[in-house]
Amino acid sequence: MPDLSFIFDAGVVALRVLLPVYAIVIVYQCYAAMRRRRRTEKPLVTLCNMKTGSVIPILFWENSIGRSKGSDVVVSDLAVSRNHCVLLRRKEGWFITDVGSTGGTFVNGVPIEGRAQVLINDVITIGSTDFEFRRGEEFQAPLKSSWFFQKVSNKPAIKAWKLMLMVTLFHFFMAVEAMYWNDGTNPQSPLILFGALAAVEWGFFCVSYFALRRVNFELEALALFLTGIGVMILVRQVERSAYIQLIAAAVGMVMFCVIIKLIEDPDKISRFRFPMMIVAVGLLLTSILFGKITKGAANWIYIGSFSFQPSELVKIIYIFIGAGTLDKLQTKKSLIEFIIFSMICVGLLALMGDFGTALIFFVTFLLIAFMRSGDIKTIILAVAAAAFGVTFVLRFKPYVADRFKAWRHVWEYAQAEGYQQTHVLTFIASGGLFGVGVGNGFLKQVAASESDLVFGLVAEEMGIIVAITIALSVALLVIYSRAITTRSRSTFYSISAGCAAGLLVVQLSLNIFGATDILPLTGVTFPFISCGGSSIMSVWGLIAFIKAADERTYSIKR
Amino acid sequence: MKRIMRRNTLILLFALAFIGGIGFFSFELIVNAEAWVDQPYNAHVSGSGGLEQAGVIYDRSGYILAETVDGDRVYNDNSSVRRGLLHTVGDNSLNISTAVQSKYRSQLSGYSLIWGLNMPQSMRISHDITLTVDASTCAAAYDALAAYGKKGACVVYNYKTGEVLCSVSTPGYDPANPPEINESNEDQYDGVYLDNVLSSSYAPGSIFKIVTSAAAMENMSDLYTRTWNCTGQKEIGGHMVTCTETHGEIDYKTAMSHSCNIVFAEIAVELGRDVMNETAGKMGINKSYEVDDVKTAKGHFDVTDANDNQLAWSGIGQYDDAVNPMQMAVLCGAIGNGGKAVNPTYIKDGSGDLLKLIGFNKPKEYDLINSNTASQLDDVMRYTVRDYYSYQRSGLFEGLSVCAKTGTAEVGEDKKPNAWMVGYSQDEDAPLAFACVVEDSGYGFEYACPVADVAMKYAAACLRNGG
Repeated sequence: MPDLSFIFDAGVVALRVLLPVYAIVIVYQCYAAMRRRRRTEKPLVTLCNMKTGSVIPILFWENSIGRSKGSDVVVSDLAVSRNHCVLLRRKEGWFITDVGSTGGTFVNGVPIEGRAQVLINDVITIGSTDFEFRRGEEFQAPLKSSWFFQKVSNKPAIKAWKLMLMVTLFHFFMAVEAMYWNDGTNPQSPLILFGALAAVEWGFFCVSYFALRRVNFELEALALFLTGIGVMILVRQVERSAYIQLIAAAVGMVMFCVIIKLIEDPDKISRFRFPMMIVAVGLLLTSILFGKITKGAANWIYIGSFSFQPSELVKIIYIFIGAGTLDKLQTKKSLIEFIIFSMICVGLLALMGDFGTALIFFVTFLLIAFMRSGDIKTIILAVAAAAFGVTFVLRFKPYVADRFKAWRHVWEYAQAEGYQQTHVLTFIASGGLFGVGVGNGFLKQVAASESDLVFGLVAEEMGIIVAITIALSVALLVIYSRAITTRSRSTFYSISAGCAAGLLVVQLSLNIFGATDILPLTGVTFPFISCGGSSIMSVWGLIAFIKAADERTYSIKR
Repeated sequence: MKRIMRRNTLILLFALAFIGGIGFFSFELIVNAEAWVDQPYNAHVSGSGGLEQAGVIYDRSGYILAETVDGDRVYNDNSSVRRGLLHTVGDNSLNISTAVQSKYRSQLSGYSLIWGLNMPQSMRISHDITLTVDASTCAAAYDALAAYGKKGACVVYNYKTGEVLCSVSTPGYDPANPPEINESNEDQYDGVYLDNVLSSSYAPGSIFKIVTSAAAMENMSDLYTRTWNCTGQKEIGGHMVTCTETHGEIDYKTAMSHSCNIVFAEIAVELGRDVMNETAGKMGINKSYEVDDVKTAKGHFDVTDANDNQLAWSGIGQYDDAVNPMQMAVLCGAIGNGGKAVNPTYIKDGSGDLLKLIGFNKPKEYDLINSNTASQLDDVMRYTVRDYYSYQRSGLFEGLSVCAKTGTAEVGEDKKPNAWMVGYSQDEDAPLAFACVVEDSGYGFEYACPVADVAMKYAAACLRNGG
């Protein structure tokens, strides 16, 4: 009779080999589904130059018109300003707004004030050029679409519920592994946690599918997949944190839905700007006044045994305030508002003294500033950025020096500054390609292994293939958000999505490369995976911007 | 919208930089994984100094040198074998960093880049390692060397294949019963974790005359026809150079076999600094050899700034000359092998070294000595043993045609000289090169020679019995 324990062990090893392959399949399916159900590349409307008869296709929801080469519709007419006006599509139809041109903009010969509606066959006069506003169907020439949406097969994308089933099954396998590697106490606890996780996942799916009637669920499925890994990896470490993490994730999912609803109408967003600023400043002030000071940084607020990092949420508000619709972006007022708000945030962060948070804010500021800037404004923003940088360096110089000391020399400081990194490297290497099994690692005994060092924890227990796959699945959101840029319903969405995706990649890089001694360790979290209630909430908040940028989110209902 | 798209492209560059970083990390992981795993705190390989799951270490004939029984590391049952191979096999403490158990701990425990560590118990494959050393040769050589109670080393290796048959270092201890080293006994165990074969270098004394000879053979056309006059001492460069005897009128070959200092001191001065530096450099004196991932201690020869007297002393292996035992064995092996040196190795089989498996890391061979010079050195070193050493000790290297040179290096202070003997056998069925050194002892012929004699006889017997 064959040895039974050998068969059992062989099964567990087979599972460990299977999981990385399975993870790759899931991530592939999510991204494949993001490409589907797209409208074909056709102009929405056209502008016909009445003098020359040439037809200009209008491709976007928001189009800048002007003499500047960067405009969506370039009019080479000396009477036209560099940034003359903006042509927008809204639910109610097409509108045109003058953005401070010298010559003004006319519809059917009448100068416009504010936003004016344009109807088919109306004549728009810009400088000395007349355009007739026509339907898009008249334009026949083929248009090139982004490579991300090219060569999409006709096969329908994987059904959302099937994708969800795959994700849940993956988490189930993790629970099975965690049951196998246990020390004899609570053999059933991974299963209970899995049950709770599955309930949250499917609850969210049902809300999205039945209540909100969304057709697409792939971004959420990917986020759930990653969130679930972060929750399950905690089961053999600090079980209580796993449940807190799960609850925080559920709150994050609610935030996700609320933010999408809140920004549904791009023109109404400006109404929330001011209250949001108050909330942001309030949150930062709370953590300065009531925050507990740990390692010289007053960043955490403790409510009972639950700790909370308000600055994580301010990140979302920051992007919210920084982005804007194209017509608003081209006015100076919103820019000044944004800079004043940034200054206040910088000041408060400097008081707070948390290096990791300040760094992330600095990056967010640069991203937003870069995404929205243009022409002269670039200079103003560059000056503001420099002021931001100087404050930052002065405030954090001692911390920075300390962190750079062991950088790229961690083995010389293995018992001091390099302690965490050397342990991460050792245990990543010990895990091999397939890991030592969920709950069977030793990195979990090192401080901050579930947050700052979580890449090492995942790599040790589930193998380097899974760790790299989930890291790439987050990084690839940048490609997705870039591909949907020109198809967003407003620059508000495309700017905020680009910033959110960029921020995720920056966090990811700082976390992974900090833990593995490629960059200095900064204590930034790994999106979705790192344990931390406010972190997981803010990540869910951030991907709401990416979801909103996808035009299918609002336009297609089941 | 176009502008936003263009700016989004920059964020895409962030993602590409991230992917590049992941690539860089993967590269670092592949290259360094084994070094990263071999850490004392790595709980995946804990117990018995991380050897709880380690495989068996065999000698070349399949004797078990170390194995794990029920989670405990057990060493060979012969005390001399255990002590003799301490520095090669290692002990539980992992203090001897050049030993196999320290170097290949992760491989012994079944580590691989693909599977990592900690497979389920029933599926774990621990790797066994077979060494090239011969247990009985090492035991005999260790007993002979340890009898002096001094620091020393003896190495014998096959200069055709690179296999090390004997490698012992003193002081040593019994790995089955490691001593607790404290203030009261630290003198006795000074340098105990150092494998003197690989990691120490010593003043060479007269064995360096091999290098001076090579320089003379290549640069003095009348070497074999001229004669020198030894009066027991001679003033060179304002100071005395002394000889052990008064040899009188003497030719080169006799000077080599009788180890006349005056002749070699004069040769060194006559050849000059550049020639001496160049020859020593060519023969690898300043070089470190890589033996199974361990770099040997470098020798030292540099007379660029020496005065004439120092140059004279440097030619007879004094001044600040230094050589490493393994290095001397390689040099002698190269003489026996017609000028070609074969890099030594301790691993016969199973180090799990991927590069070795695909044949990338096979023993390296390189030209160390010009073949004409090698054959001349062969002749004079054989002459030294046959017509001089053999008369002084009956049965010396019996059954082998050994070519050798002894050395007695003064080290100053209040220490006695380092005793040296280096050489090789010409026999086709036992192509063995050796080096033996005993610190703080006396004449090379008196102290190093008996140890070398034992080691060579055992090693030759081992090879001839098909081991």
